[in-house]
Amino acid sequence: MTAPAQATPVRAPTSGSRWRSRSVTSQAPPVTRRAQARLGILLVTPLVAIVAVFLLFPMANAVYYVFVDFNGIDLNPPWVGLSNFTELAQDPDVWSAFKNNVIWIIVGTVAPLVIGLGLALLIWGVKRGSVFYRIAFFLPYVLPQVAVGVVWSWIYDPSRGWLNRALELVGLEALTTGWLGNPTTALYAVLGTAVWATAGFVFVIFLSALRNVDLDLIQAALLDGANAAQRLRYIILPQIMPVFLMVTTLTLIGGFSVFDIIFIMTGGGPAGATEVLGTYAYSSAFQLNRISYGTTLALVITVMAIPFAVGLNRLQRRLSLQGTDA
Amino acid sequence: MSHLARSRKSRRLTGKHLVLVLLSLLMVFPLILTISTALKTKQDVKVNPFGLFSSFSTENIVTAWTVGNFSDYVLNSFLLSVPSTILVVALSTMGGYTFARLPFSGRTVIFYLVVLGLLVPFFTYMIPLYFQLRGMGLLDSLLGVNLVLASTGLSFGTFFMRAFFSDLPTELEQAARIDGASEWQIFVKVMLPLVSSGAGALAVFTFLQNWNNFLVPLLYMPGGEYRPLTTGLYLFLGGRSVDIGPLAAGTLITILPVIVLFVAMQRQVTAGFLSGAVKG
Repeated sequence: MTAPAQATPVRAPTSGSRWRSRSVTSQAPPVTRRAQARLGILLVTPLVAIVAVFLLFPMANAVYYVFVDFNGIDLNPPWVGLSNFTELAQDPDVWSAFKNNVIWIIVGTVAPLVIGLGLALLIWGVKRGSVFYRIAFFLPYVLPQVAVGVVWSWIYDPSRGWLNRALELVGLEALTTGWLGNPTTALYAVLGTAVWATAGFVFVIFLSALRNVDLDLIQAALLDGANAAQRLRYIILPQIMPVFLMVTTLTLIGGFSVFDIIFIMTGGGPAGATEVLGTYAYSSAFQLNRISYGTTLALVITVMAIPFAVGLNRLQRRLSLQGTDA
Repeated sequence: MSHLARSRKSRRLTGKHLVLVLLSLLMVFPLILTISTALKTKQDVKVNPFGLFSSFSTENIVTAWTVGNFSDYVLNSFLLSVPSTILVVALSTMGGYTFARLPFSGRTVIFYLVVLGLLVPFFTYMIPLYFQLRGMGLLDSLLGVNLVLASTGLSFGTFFMRAFFSDLPTELEQAARIDGASEWQIFVKVMLPLVSSGAGALAVFTFLQNWNNFLVPLLYMPGGEYRPLTTGLYLFLGGRSVDIGPLAAGTLITILPVIVLFVAMQRQVTAGFLSGAVKG
């Protein structure tokens, strides 16, 4: 029991047996049940205390901030109703930031999916050195975003950067530019960095999903003369669909609340070219002291992301149910 | 025929490896660039920015470590990551066990409140939390920032550990109970040892998350007395953007512990991040 457990990667157990313990313990004698309840309350108290103070209380406060006009100084801010929302809807900066979010969500979801799946398919079935490749591809995702931002700022540097240098070497001098300083390229340059960092994460998830793909079906398709594209479309993709949707959900939701990498690399500039809702909420609250307005923005971002999460998760659950009885 | 097929297959495998090695190099190139720049002489960084490993010197590292205050930042990063990680692992294990195995009335409601943090991103409440911490006198304090870092990891930790405890067979605790063990003894002596691999994965994952965290120290350490590596590097970036050598050295100091931990415990880290994906 212990030897194979060490050989296989640590994995969270499936949730299928979640309710088993409850049905058994409910048959336990009252003495046991009382002792269990006592210990349970004892064990959970510190957790509840921290969660209540540092999670639930500020969340409730966020909802309160939205309906007042708090400037950070006056502790009894005036009630303003929905005017934070109406101002937000009419703020052109919000809309241009929202447009950047949409670009970020689309490119930042599609590109890592394509690259990650491509890499996973390429490495699928390769045994020798696969650990090395996994480390190389996954490492960028584990690094702190500040470090990633610093290094990529050098790569994008107009005169001493490797990107321009590489373009010159292959005769594409016409394309060289100051990637982060040029308003037309800045957003895509930061996006490129983000894609570099997330592709490895998507890759590792797909690789573990591919391990569960039925190889007999692939063999059968090969015998039937299916080409690579057909095998991918009709055999592999349907089998990894739940994972595919899960990854989409994750990168999509991440796209709504993107902050760190943009804040670090461009701070929203040049001239608002990379401003997203997250950086705009931050600067509203902490640079312009418009605390309530910033909080409203942050809350709107969260609320916008929720339907995507719910919808995709529902789809994912339906598909995984289909998978079990197929 | 079969020989031919095999040689074609092996040739394709060689081609695959070639492509994979090239792609790996492309992926780790920013890392190679950092290491190379950090270890060059200052003069060489200026005149020959494209040379990789074209000279060797530790002067950039020394500058970052002393003038750049990175020696302080390293210490602060540990002071902020270690206690918060211990807190997350301990409280999540205790909570996870309760939510899996110790029923009491109201438990389900409490569980949903705890895992609410999985749905609501930190982003949503970070601004009110700033004013709350200011009111509590916890801004710029090790205690305050450790508690906040812990609170961002507790929802996932509890969810993660509960799954491990739920999967253990009930026969174990029943046998221990017949032998006269108390509920506390069952938890500590019977159940805890069985989830050590899960707790280990959670510890590595949480440590990396806290070490890498940028927003929490940025917001709640405005004075910078206990500034960790992430915000320290950011400050360094703004202060001397022309001087790439020491900046590269600072970057290397920031990521070195992460790389060592990741390569050494690759399996646990990946497992943690993969389960962390549940967060959506």
